[in-house]
Amino acid sequence: MVNKADAVVIGGGVIGNSIAYYLAKYGVDTLLIERKDLAAGTSGACDGFIFLQSKKPGFDLRLALESTRLYENLADELSYDIEYRKCGGMILIETEEQLKAIIELVDGQRKTGLDVKLMRIPQELEPILSGHIIGATHSPLDAQVNPFKVVLGFAQGAKRKGAQILTHMEVQAIRTRTVRGELKVDSVITERGEIKTNTVINAAGVHAPVIAKMVGLDLPIIPRRGQVLVTEPLPDLVTSLLVDAEYITLKLAPDHRGTDGLGLGFTLEQTASGNLLIGSTREFVGYDRRTTYHGIKAITQNVLRIAPALKEVNIIRSFAGLRPYTPDGLPILGKLRGVEGFIVAAGHEGDGIALAPITGKLIAELVVKGKPSISLDEFGLERFK
Amino acid sequence: MDDEVIICRCEEVTKGEILKAIEQGAKTITGIKIRTRAGMGLCQGRTCGRLIARLLAERTAQVLEEIPPATVRPPVRATKMENLVTSHGE
Repeated sequence: MVNKADAVVIGGGVIGNSIAYYLAKYGVDTLLIERKDLAAGTSGACDGFIFLQSKKPGFDLRLALESTRLYENLADELSYDIEYRKCGGMILIETEEQLKAIIELVDGQRKTGLDVKLMRIPQELEPILSGHIIGATHSPLDAQVNPFKVVLGFAQGAKRKGAQILTHMEVQAIRTRTVRGELKVDSVITERGEIKTNTVINAAGVHAPVIAKMVGLDLPIIPRRGQVLVTEPLPDLVTSLLVDAEYITLKLAPDHRGTDGLGLGFTLEQTASGNLLIGSTREFVGYDRRTTYHGIKAITQNVLRIAPALKEVNIIRSFAGLRPYTPDGLPILGKLRGVEGFIVAAGHEGDGIALAPITGKLIAELVVKGKPSISLDEFGLERFK
Repeated sequence: MDDEVIICRCEEVTKGEILKAIEQGAKTITGIKIRTRAGMGLCQGRTCGRLIARLLAERTAQVLEEIPPATVRPPVRATKMENLVTSHGE
């Protein structure tokens, strides 16, 4: 095994692999370490939404817009089919009250540069929608990917550019040394030996606090379970990504837990394979990745309210992923004060897939140039203090 | 067994594709699944799970009995949505 690297990335999900890819692209000698397998955690248990309309107007949306631009050419760049499709997306409106709130949101998003409009008869575009839905927003920029393939594509791309990826290997400790009174990253200890490095990037998602603790730092990231249902494959039925207004409320107010503690918000996409992925819950239940009868029933009731015609469609599976929640719903990105060479890129909650390319690119710029092309100041850990 | 033999019938995944996934680092049934879709179809791996475990045991020097099965999640079999909302209890 190698015993040194310019940069060690911890975490083999979509964020870690994206960072490894962009670092390798800049010529950085990069090593990625993953405890289990690629996409074995959150990135392998989510939907493929690249949904711009749920982003807060301002720097959150700006980052997502940049990420979308990177996604447009990513399949070509990686020579890997990530099942990217610019399918457009809708927020479904069921009451006059929702309509008022959504009009305000759309205004803010337009000012940040998002192409989004209000539709009065969304059933014209998506005939599956129930007649009681009185309107919807629509943005042609919303897109979808296959999350597994994004992870594997970045991993393959990183390897081609010289990065090493070691899976089924656990990080046991991170050693630091003191240089002129300041702590600096010195090496990463694994079960197969020590790797000398000056730069460690913590992209361990819901496990990022465990890694940060190894250098004595605390991260306010906790797992939040999202249950999702999978239908049998169907002929083309739905083009757009669909969410309901409650989903947006949950996204924009991270502490909102919904009326029944499930944090239920409606999401639906049809994947390239024809399956519908129907979500989802947002529950604080520790690291429990099981799905529940209560959750499955609630998600099914929700989808049959939005699209009653689906009642005869078969559910073939449920799954749950743990989203890395932060108190304000935004990721923690950048250097951490107190330990030189220790960088965090975690806490994307449900936006890991959408923000992966831009996260990887900016973190790589931070490592290589010391300063990313888009400021990450707003995403610093300091904002919680 | 020929590389063209279909191991996962639901998703039409061949033995050759599964061996390639093993070469790319898959060590578990779930690892094969994310790389090939084997086990993601209607039967949810009930047919192919054992065959895949055997290939993994052969190629990755694991003991067959120690390879964990794929994660099982409800419903136990394909279930119409209208029946999921009217059924009772766990």
